[in-house]
Amino acid sequence: MKNLYIFIAVLFIPWSFSLAKYDEFEDGDDIMEYDDNDFAEFEDVNEDAVTESPQRIITTEDDEEEATVELEGQDENQEDFDDADAQEGDTESEPYDDEEFEGYEEKPDASPSKNKDPITIVNVPAHLQNSWESYYMEILMVTGLLAYIMNYIIGKNKNNRLAHAWFNTHRELLESNFALVGDDGTNKEATSTGKLNQENEHIYNLWCSGRVCCEGMLIQLKFLKRQDLLNVLARMMRPASDQVQIKVTMNDEDMDTYVFAVGTRKALVRLQKEMQDLSEFCSDKPKSGAKYGLPDSLAILSEMGEVTEGMMDTKMIHFLTHYADKIESVQFSDQFSGPKLMQEEGQLTKLPETKKTLLFTFNVPGSGNTSPKDMESLLPLMSMVIYSIDKAKKFRLNREGKQKADKNRARVEENFLKLTHVQRQEAAQSRREEKKRAEKERIMNEEDPEKQRRLEEAALRREQKKLEKKQMKMKQIKVKAM
Amino acid sequence: PSDGAAPRYKPPATETNPALEDPTPDYMNLLGMVFSMCGLMLKLKWCAWIAVYCSFISFANSRSSEDTKQMMSSFMLSISAVVMSYLQNPQPMSPPW
Repeated sequence: MKNLYIFIAVLFIPWSFSLAKYDEFEDGDDIMEYDDNDFAEFEDVNEDAVTESPQRIITTEDDEEEATVELEGQDENQEDFDDADAQEGDTESEPYDDEEFEGYEEKPDASPSKNKDPITIVNVPAHLQNSWESYYMEILMVTGLLAYIMNYIIGKNKNNRLAHAWFNTHRELLESNFALVGDDGTNKEATSTGKLNQENEHIYNLWCSGRVCCEGMLIQLKFLKRQDLLNVLARMMRPASDQVQIKVTMNDEDMDTYVFAVGTRKALVRLQKEMQDLSEFCSDKPKSGAKYGLPDSLAILSEMGEVTEGMMDTKMIHFLTHYADKIESVQFSDQFSGPKLMQEEGQLTKLPETKKTLLFTFNVPGSGNTSPKDMESLLPLMSMVIYSIDKAKKFRLNREGKQKADKNRARVEENFLKLTHVQRQEAAQSRREEKKRAEKERIMNEEDPEKQRRLEEAALRREQKKLEKKQMKMKQIKVKAM
Repeated sequence: PSDGAAPRYKPPATETNPALEDPTPDYMNLLGMVFSMCGLMLKLKWCAWIAVYCSFISFANSRSSEDTKQMMSSFMLSISAVVMSYLQNPQPMSPPW
């Protein structure tokens, strides 16, 4: 549908061009006829006026052959004018006068000394030529647009093919593990659509659910923007990969409390800055995983050593070492709330909602030049995801670990409350002031003096009560302190 | 363990987190409109052409949730800017060099 619109619109451009050209011709003719009649009146009055005005009438669409003819015609006209024998000469050569060029203004200077200097034939300026060649910039622009459209179609189709190749490879594994594969949220009942949900020309989603331990799994195929020519050109400078992002939401009872991440060093550094939970709970820099036999490219971010020990079992290490080039980041977190939100000044914020999540980001091999076959190499990674879900369910912290974890979480919450404490106090204060002001205004606006007096008294009494309460509290605190 | 529990909910229609969304289509849309206005008012052909490009780029980067009407309107505006510039002044564009 979108493509149809584009093609129709593209057809508009050359059509409008042709329209533009013909309009100019018609206008020119009208002007000529009108001026002819006008000058008929002025023939006797002023020779200068008559001869100069035809020069000013310019039509712009003449060929070069006509140009040379007109030049000679105009020269004759000038001679007649010089001889002060203007009128007949003018009327005879008026048809020629009216088809002069713009550049002709130079001629009157040259002609008096015509006998001394040779005739200089001025080249017709490019924009007056009636040929397509002079419009080369426009042709370039239109070609550029056509190239963009071609790239759009090709890129879109490639992304589509890649997405479906991925899905066909993974379909079996997903269907054997999840009851509901593919859902776009529109049906009332939970039925598998068995299809990818296309969000964009380069983003495809798949929602799977219906498995023990996890609430659901959202898979996002984030391809490169092959449909945008600018992006394609930018990628020639800076290569990038397609990514597969998998987000598993765990049930509350199926995962213990820990925060753990493993991935490329660069990715972990970035995540530690961006992600709310990693920045709060994993304060150390990413550590090397060489101790566990991981390649140098991978690093580990963890809340405590015990979690790392628990996570790095043989099978996990096997997965990580064999597919290290495809793994960008793996994050297990019970306090996952997404990236840090930008908070405005003076805005009260509550602690963001957290969900127990496992987050995986994989790079598709090929670094941009992927073919549908490359999707098969991602299949083992999906097995790793399934394995991780089961592992997260099985792994439990021991007593010390749990205590540490609870302490960490309490600490984070306290920090947050302290930060917002000032803001909350200010908010409460401003609310109280508002109330007082509203009351005072009401009292002022009361016309009846009796009522006014009564309201003022009521307000005074309330103030006194408050003061008494405060004094009581202070006394109590003093007593307790003693 | 494939069908232990009953199938769960629909997808949380992928988070509309404003911080994460790609701003390109919106910027390009705005830029396209600005350029086409310039092209129309100041009668600059190259402005109008850039506007056409901007609206194409915005279209290519758009999210599926975007309004097609807005895309089409920015597109039509840029096309009309080009057409009007040429109607007013049929001379070809001169390169800046």
